[in-house]
Amino acid sequence: MVTRRDIGKIGLGAGLVTALGRPAWAADAAQAAVEAAKQYSGETITIVWEAGLQSLDPLNFSGPKWKELTGIDVKVVEVPVAEMFTKIMQDFKSGAGAYDALNVIPSWMPDLANAGALEALDPFVDKYGYRDELQKIAPTYRDNQMMVNGKIFGLPDDGDVFVMYYRTDVLNDPAIQKAYKDKYGTDLPVPPKNWKDFDQVGALITEVTGGKTYGAAFFREPGYGNFMFQERFRNEGGKFFDADTMKATINSDAGVKVFTDWLAENKWAPPGVEQWGFVENLAAFLQGQTAMTISWPPYGRWAASYGTDQEVMSWVPKSTIAGKVGYSTTPGGHPELAAGFCLSVSATSKKKEAAYLFIQWLNSESVSLERVKLPYALRDPFRDSHFTDPGYAALWPEAKDYLKALQDGANTGLLDLSLLQTDKYEEVLRQSVSKLWSGEDPKAILDAAAAEWDAITEKIGVDKQKAVYADWASKSGAYPK
Amino acid sequence: MTATVHPDRNFKYWLVAPAIFLLLLIGLFPLIYSLIVSFMRIDMMDTDTSFAWFYNYKTLFKDSRLWWSLAHTLLITAVALPIELLLGLAMAYLFLEKMPGRQVFISLLVLPTIISPIVAGATWRLLFDNRYGPINQILGWFAGEPVNALWTINPTLVYPAIIFCEVWQWTPFMFLILLAALSNVDKSQTEAAEIDGARFIRTFRYIVLPAIWPVMAIAILIRGLDLFRIFDIVWALTQGGPGTKTETISIYAYVQGFKQFETSYTAAIAFLVVFILTVVCVWAIRRMGLVK
Repeated sequence: MVTRRDIGKIGLGAGLVTALGRPAWAADAAQAAVEAAKQYSGETITIVWEAGLQSLDPLNFSGPKWKELTGIDVKVVEVPVAEMFTKIMQDFKSGAGAYDALNVIPSWMPDLANAGALEALDPFVDKYGYRDELQKIAPTYRDNQMMVNGKIFGLPDDGDVFVMYYRTDVLNDPAIQKAYKDKYGTDLPVPPKNWKDFDQVGALITEVTGGKTYGAAFFREPGYGNFMFQERFRNEGGKFFDADTMKATINSDAGVKVFTDWLAENKWAPPGVEQWGFVENLAAFLQGQTAMTISWPPYGRWAASYGTDQEVMSWVPKSTIAGKVGYSTTPGGHPELAAGFCLSVSATSKKKEAAYLFIQWLNSESVSLERVKLPYALRDPFRDSHFTDPGYAALWPEAKDYLKALQDGANTGLLDLSLLQTDKYEEVLRQSVSKLWSGEDPKAILDAAAAEWDAITEKIGVDKQKAVYADWASKSGAYPK
Repeated sequence: MTATVHPDRNFKYWLVAPAIFLLLLIGLFPLIYSLIVSFMRIDMMDTDTSFAWFYNYKTLFKDSRLWWSLAHTLLITAVALPIELLLGLAMAYLFLEKMPGRQVFISLLVLPTIISPIVAGATWRLLFDNRYGPINQILGWFAGEPVNALWTINPTLVYPAIIFCEVWQWTPFMFLILLAALSNVDKSQTEAAEIDGARFIRTFRYIVLPAIWPVMAIAILIRGLDLFRIFDIVWALTQGGPGTKTETISIYAYVQGFKQFETSYTAAIAFLVVFILTVVCVWAIRRMGLVK
């Protein structure tokens, strides 16, 4: 008979066996990767990385450090993000094997994995004892952006999420607060928590300042507008498809409301906002021309002047608003986890193990913490420990609030739509945003877009796509709960 | 008696065979291969690469976006080509006479043609920028108030912007060719006409134009073909937007091939373009009297 004491002994014994039997690397995945990679010293691995600031991480920091630790050279192939998917697919289809490791946007993963372009990482993860550290990645990224059909194809490596930035000095200005109360009969919400409040506050600031400071500006350029639409559409209660029929429902009332509201907002936003992308929006905010905006995490760092003294950051306008910026989740409470990056291994690589060890090292708790703090880097916190790191929280006076906003966003964020041939659906959305700025009717645009989505689904196969959509829609970040 | 050497009559063919084989390999093979691809179902995302026969060609006829892109291309060609021709001719006349600094001015005028079109397009995009671009600023000086013209997204402004860039970059090409042609016109004939009291228009119509026509026709043909394939400037300025309002046939083919990965359908579009350009070229060459 097994007594409770026996169970205790068994438990203790099992614990000891587990502890003693654990390989040394279990304590530190970065060190484990380094030790294992030394066998490949003298070799070169090639990694695809987004061109520009993003690639300064492997070029200036992680690449040279990896070489120093393991003797393995890292060749960085810089590719503009718009061409990354094409380059990866071309390399795979041609069988050239030019790339060993890859940066992959999570919404591409079903396409790349189903095509066979990505190597399943489970055997490597188990071999090098990385599962424990993977579990410490923030749940949104870990649970939603790592696997396809139950297999790991990418290590979530970038906590991309939209954050709302607002000028505390403007929103707390007594004159503006009084004007708001006079007009709407309620206190000005700091920060606005829904789109109705946001629009009221934004329009009022433009009105009171006479355009000296505009209430807000946004990404309106179609490439970015795609993400903004996906976020706001779902915050307004929209669903992309009827799950039973796979008929597109982006032309629902929610979709039309988003487009109609955008047109109304443009009237009190800076002139020409329809053309604004990342840089235009950034410049206006840092120069104090706008009181509120929504963007990726780097805006918050640069607004606080963190890292902008670096030579490579000379193109970023000097911030005139450091110390005057508040951070919040976007109106509606469910920000877009827009884009982001995972680290993957190419299925055609001839150095898969070396490539995996490099990405494990990059992604490990200790090394990734250094990487998200690089002043010039664009990798954003994505591990629980990043959000609570005292070193990060001390980087500028409001950094703690910034990290909290990022963590809140990660907890409630919405995934980019991810289906088979996602880019075809996204291209229709981009075209729709572009048509909106050319003066076409919102409802007509979205009806046409829905018809195009249906045609794409038909071509791919309704049942095939339905299964992929069902899988995506079942994820915690697909729709607001 | 010496024996007569009869060289192998086929020897000359053996000599040219490697060159012909190489030309066929790099010229004809891709053409034939892409023709075969246009009858298949290849796209980068699917494993089904079976023969679809005429499916892609049938799809062409139902694809309204394709025909709109063709219409946009023809519109740009129809407007930009005459402007480039007339401006080029006017400039050539201007620089026909000797003047101080003529060579320097000609060199400066030709500069736009040596810039890569994508760079020219990107530069003009900055110039047209509604916040920082000098064009709106200059217009604002004249208007006496800030001008916020959205050159690259307003449907009424976007074509003028594209055509302006195109004309800016390629008029010098017309100018150079026509200047060379005008320089070779027999001066004694034009002087005789002048002495006889012929007006400029008549002299141009009956003496100058026939003399420069063969060169001018070639220039029109080259620029016409270039305009039909226009990509870089439009891509840099608008990427075919707003919506698809400035999408040209080349941009549409690029989007289908390299963004949507519809390899076979793109091959069918390419053959449609080849067909149209072949018909136009043959017609134009006959019509212009370039082949006797």
